Amino acid sequence: MHILQLAIPPDFPLPIPGNLSLLEFLIVLTFILHIVFVNFTLSFATGAVALEGAGIVKKSKRLDDMARICSFHASIHKSIAVVLGVAPLLIVSVIYTQYFYTSTLLIGKAWISIIVLLITAFLLLYVYKFSWEKWENKKGLHFFVGLVASAILLFIPLIFIVNIVSMLYPEKWSSANGFFHSLFYYPQIWQRYAHFVLASLAAGGFYMYFYFAWKQKKQPLSDVEQSLKMGGVKVTFWITLLQLLFGSLLLISFRRDIVLLFMGDDLLLTVLLLVSILLTIVLCGLLYIVTKKDTQNVFYASVICFVLIVALMGWMRHEVRESYLQPYMDEHPRTLDVQKENVQPIK
Amino acid sequence: MDFPIVEFPWFGNGNIVALIAIIHVLISHGVAIGATAIVVSTEYYAMQTKNAKLDQLAKQLTKWIVIITTTVGAMTGVGIWLSTMVIQPDSIGSLLRIFFWAWVTEWVIFIGEVVLLLIYYYTWEKWKKGKEKQKHLNIGITLAVFSWLTMAIITGILAAKLTPGRWVETLSFWNAFFNPTYLPSLAFRTFLAVTLAISLFTIFVRLFVKDKDVRLPLFRIFSIWGAISLPATFIFGIWYLKSIPEQAAKLIVWSTGLPEQTFNVLNLIAFALIVVFLIWLVIRPKKLPAVLALAMFISAIGFIGEFEVVRESIRKPYIIYNYMYVNGITAAKAEAMNRDGYLAHSTIAKVKTITEENKIEAGREIYEGQCLACHTIDGWRSKRALANRLQGWPQKSIEAFIPSMHQVRPMMPPFVGTKEEVEALAAYLYKVVNEQN
Ligand code: HEC
Repeated sequence: MHILQLAIPPDFPLPIPGNLSLLEFLIVLTFILHIVFVNFTLSFATGAVALEGAGIVKKSKRLDDMARICSFHASIHKSIAVVLGVAPLLIVSVIYTQYFYTSTLLIGKAWISIIVLLITAFLLLYVYKFSWEKWENKKGLHFFVGLVASAILLFIPLIFIVNIVSMLYPEKWSSANGFFHSLFYYPQIWQRYAHFVLASLAAGGFYMYFYFAWKQKKQPLSDVEQSLKMGGVKVTFWITLLQLLFGSLLLISFRRDIVLLFMGDDLLLTVLLLVSILLTIVLCGLLYIVTKKDTQNVFYASVICFVLIVALMGWMRHEVRESYLQPYMDEHPRTLDVQKENVQPIK
Repeated sequence: MDFPIVEFPWFGNGNIVALIAIIHVLISHGVAIGATAIVVSTEYYAMQTKNAKLDQLAKQLTKWIVIITTTVGAMTGVGIWLSTMVIQPDSIGSLLRIFFWAWVTEWVIFIGEVVLLLIYYYTWEKWKKGKEKQKHLNIGITLAVFSWLTMAIITGILAAKLTPGRWVETLSFWNAFFNPTYLPSLAFRTFLAVTLAISLFTIFVRLFVKDKDVRLPLFRIFSIWGAISLPATFIFGIWYLKSIPEQAAKLIVWSTGLPEQTFNVLNLIAFALIVVFLIWLVIRPKKLPAVLALAMFISAIGFIGEFEVVRESIRKPYIIYNYMYVNGITAAKAEAMNRDGYLAHSTIAKVKTITEENKIEAGREIYEGQCLACHTIDGWRSKRALANRLQGWPQKSIEAFIPSMHQVRPMMPPFVGTKEEVEALAAYLYKVVNEQN
């Protein structure tokens, strides 16, 4: 390096198309919707493979049936997840252009590979779902297809995480060297990943509880469905307890001044954090009650709790990014009104 | 050069986007739009003629529409965007600033389209009789309208890249969207979609639908649609051609990389082929040769490939006409860069002042920033590989060529930067070209 300077480009001379607060609200909202469906997809795909594997080892038809239901749900939610992902991606690239484009280009080839990875994973998931009966006698092969699809689905989030973490660290860009290097180069990557994978399992478990509790209102559940429902509750309970630990690990991986924002320096963030921890504990309590005595009221209370926690997490995530970028944004302002002198026709 | 550069040295950066775009256009136009229109009319025809088997075939076709559009179709659509972010960040970034709300609308309508498609397919058996069948058909019609609407929106954005029209003066969204080629291009694409669907699907019907009670009425529907869509594609295509900028129109034949004669002959053959095919479909649907259907299938894919490559290529040297060159340089940037130096205004350039020692490195950075968008050093497309184009050139000649390159080859943007930067670029090119050869 000849001159040490940050590679933050000037913003485009064309203005950000819309009210910034509105766009920020929309990015939080649409991202939450997107990520919840990603969570579902990931947990059902991996859950199906795990259950099928366990079924093969224990020669249990029951586990196999459970796996099959999971695979069915995975294939529905994957389409919703992708479609819903477009909106937050649009907004992030419009309001954080200077950071997000650079971080994307730093891992350009990995970023483009998402297309191939997703198409492959989706087609494999279709094969996995539709060949359940046909390949009854080729269980190994069937299991393998599911395993590969799940492995791809577990890998793709790393690309996104590297991208959105790296955009927070402009001072580290000049020494970053591609995707695989970045995985171990930037702070918070693996903490975020762990927090995300656990959240997926918890969300998937909760979905099973929610879905079958809802279905139960109309018709009695089969044996397998009942196991999925209660299994879901247990998974969510234990994973959510673990999240208290992994969430804290993520928090302390932030830059010191950001951590302190959550510890009293910023009233809003501190309150958000405290409330979310409190709600998490309440949710665990409610889920514990469900395992003992499953009632309608507990069901509704837990759903409300779950939605609130997810909303708070999405909100805090946004505030973290804003806090990280604040000092840079003061130095490298965004274009909010058109810079007419910089938008000239070429004659 | 404000963002890091990603290079696909062998394949060529532009070709990545082109490849994804071609697949996407085949699916979005041919399957999502064209085939949907045909399937819905087939359902209607089956209802009128009480042909239950034909109805089932329409359902089968819909299943394929679901599978293809929700996987490869949707992902290549998002993929065009993901890949242009990497390959043309300045362009896609600017387009997003101009057309953000159009894209948001596009997204909402696309969600609607997917939901309608799923409803349409999964209620086929449930809503079968009397009034319910009519309701099902209405869903299908709404679906066809929605899938057309997604095209009606994206066409505004695509057409604006070639003819932004008054936008460059007014910067008004509506001027950009309803630009001079919007209507011709939308009309052309609408009928192209139907023609494409017929060309793509006939071979499968010919090979896999054995039952004459089904195949013949289906071919009849194809030929009715074809009788409308083929002349319309042709007429609106000419209207479209007439409305593009003269400079761009001149580049059409060149863009295909074919000699003019071959270009004319090939396109005439393709046109004659589709006319013969349609007439055959009308007159002797029972005896449609599989070879003819296959030829249609292949030439349809060939035509879309040609169309996409030409559409992207005739815009040269611009990426957004009269506003931004392919390498991301705008009028305002060019002015500043010619004054203070290209590297001085390039965020990611490591060299800011050129010295004897860093000259080659500086040249490499300039090459990546200004030439890489269209050229490779030694990629497979030999016309764009500079190791080939500059073979045997002395360094002085390269140096003399660069400042006038946009006059010698009007598809190239003018070089921007200082005299020292020209020298650095020439020194770098001379070095790598001679290392390659
Ligand atoms: C907009 C795309 C584009 C950009 C950017 C571009 N070129 Fe070209 N260049 C072309 C095309 C197209 C040709 C002609 C290919 C052909 O003959 O078919 C060409 C031809 C050339 C030739 C061969 C000229 C001849 O007469 O044989 C040279 C040398 C060349 N370019 C150098 C450069 C350099 C140096 C840069 C960067 C400063 C650059 N080009 C930027 C598109 C571009």
